[in-house]
Amino acid sequence: MSKMQTVLISELKPFLDAVAEQMELYVPQKTGTHYVYNRYDPSTEVPVEFNNIRTCTPVKEFLFPLRELAAVYPEPFEPKDIKPFAVFGLKDCDLRSIEILDKVFTEEEFEDPFYVSRREIMFIISSDCFEPADSCFCNVLDGRPFATSGFDLNVSQVKDGFIIEVGSQKGKDFVEKYSRLFTETTESLLADRDKNRAETQKQLEQNNADLKFDKPVNEIVENSQDSDVYDQEAKTCVECQACTRVCPTCHCFFLYDTKKDDYFAKMKMWDSCMRLAYAEVAGGANPRKVLGDRLRHRFMHKFSYFLDRYGIQMCIGCGRCVDAEAGEVDIRKVLKKLNEELKGKDKTKAEVAK
Amino acid sequence: MNRNLYQPINGGIVDIIDESPTIKSFVVVLEETFKFETGQFVELTLPGEGEAPFTPSSSPSDTKKMEITIMKAGRITALLHDCEKGQKVGIRGPYGKGYPIDDFVGKEVYIVGGGVGLAPIRSLFLTLVERIEDFKSVVCRFGAKTPDDYIYKKTLFNSWQKIDRVDMKLTVDEANGSWDGNVGVVTTILAPDDVDISKAVAVVCGPPIMMKFATLKLLEFGFGAEQIYLSMEKNMSCGVGKCGHCMIGKYYVCKDGPVFTYDQIKDYPNIWD
Repeated sequence: MSKMQTVLISELKPFLDAVAEQMELYVPQKTGTHYVYNRYDPSTEVPVEFNNIRTCTPVKEFLFPLRELAAVYPEPFEPKDIKPFAVFGLKDCDLRSIEILDKVFTEEEFEDPFYVSRREIMFIISSDCFEPADSCFCNVLDGRPFATSGFDLNVSQVKDGFIIEVGSQKGKDFVEKYSRLFTETTESLLADRDKNRAETQKQLEQNNADLKFDKPVNEIVENSQDSDVYDQEAKTCVECQACTRVCPTCHCFFLYDTKKDDYFAKMKMWDSCMRLAYAEVAGGANPRKVLGDRLRHRFMHKFSYFLDRYGIQMCIGCGRCVDAEAGEVDIRKVLKKLNEELKGKDKTKAEVAK
Repeated sequence: MNRNLYQPINGGIVDIIDESPTIKSFVVVLEETFKFETGQFVELTLPGEGEAPFTPSSSPSDTKKMEITIMKAGRITALLHDCEKGQKVGIRGPYGKGYPIDDFVGKEVYIVGGGVGLAPIRSLFLTLVERIEDFKSVVCRFGAKTPDDYIYKKTLFNSWQKIDRVDMKLTVDEANGSWDGNVGVVTTILAPDDVDISKAVAVVCGPPIMMKFATLKLLEFGFGAEQIYLSMEKNMSCGVGKCGHCMIGKYYVCKDGPVFTYDQIKDYPNIWD
């Protein structure tokens, strides 16, 4: 690994102060048992925590805010000069969620100008996970507790400080500009980082040892079109919609118009496919009146339809929905049940074949 | 960067035609050139109130104005029905895939329509008639609740029936006044020998229940699922395959439709709801 790619810093504060000098910086802050993002204040005495896992809120809120202005008329409205901003402490699952949202909002023919503006200007500082949460299951869906791409800078905690890895030209420019803050990494520290990563990976695998599937997840879900599992599971769903709100890859929204005197605006706001009237049309027709059908659609979209369209699955195994759920629908348990059900079907098919 | 896809093109309503007790046609003129293909849809914005998806009912060859036929069915459509000439509106689009007219060349085009479903069909009909020599025939089987509920009465009951290569039959669920035509739902005027199925395509547009039974009837006649074109009405909101409301299975109706072959969507649940 060349020296250009990694540098070392003993404390986080001077590094974060340097970032905050350049742009608005958001850092994770612990609230109860979870982390949420807050604006970084360089004058604060409270040290910034190196978050062991992802925040409970999704990174999508930085790129696709809960509510935003989409259009103003009669005078057209283009994305205002969105101020440069940085987010520290994003995890590999977060970066994968951005990759998924990019597929939707940066499509050549139908680019969302607001998403694209924020995406281009966002400075991404990811960091390695340690002590994964009970709900984390990224390893089951090809994820890792550390990022290898998709960041400008990545931070790994090691025994003598923090290793910062450069992941982009923007990241390289930053490290060069603030070279006075950094020292060289050593082979032994890099080995320490790799050891930490391997340990966390092992811990994740242990935590999810029970979560094994007999077929690729997309195939299991594809075959669940007629499954009863969704209706059964729906009995434990209280329709809080939290699963879709905290999901970093869910991107449903609705547009609504508003006015004040002669000012007219079109707003864009997060929506949820779990909501009863979500697919309803004028006159009352609704293809997903039944809660179990909405749950099925959510799973099919995540694991099958999205993959079919964009070549990538829409679940990253971050487990936020598991933590947020007010009812008892656990995405991991649903997948396990579908897996079991498919096993049964296969046997029947095999028997019929004999 | 492209134009902001959420920004409507400004325009205004220049004329309003009463079609039936619950349906009006709005003639819209836009401040910018606007082109669409028959069967594609637009999002019509009533500034400050909201927007809703409609398939224009005029021919795409009329580039100066666009007609949109609207049934009073919900909040936005009720507000539109209260509008007067001169009302400012906005249009986003056109969106989605319309009727693949070029694939219809040399064939019999069997059109089954009902109620306000005649709106997209009018656009298709006018488009077909403009190049009628390209098609073997255009066979129309239309229905409405009562004679009063028919839209486009002036042309439908007269000039359209006299066009060369056009074969038209109409029915009503309930007759009144001077109606001397068929009485019964639209499937009662469909016959297996209306067209040569091996050289035909079918187009169905109307209320969901009518579309369902017309499709089943066509299948019974021997039409292949891939020969039946359906114009699906779902909750198209963004129009560009992102917001998710209009999904039927893996398809975004706004982007992959609104015109689908029955073959594409037949295996998904509740498509007629």
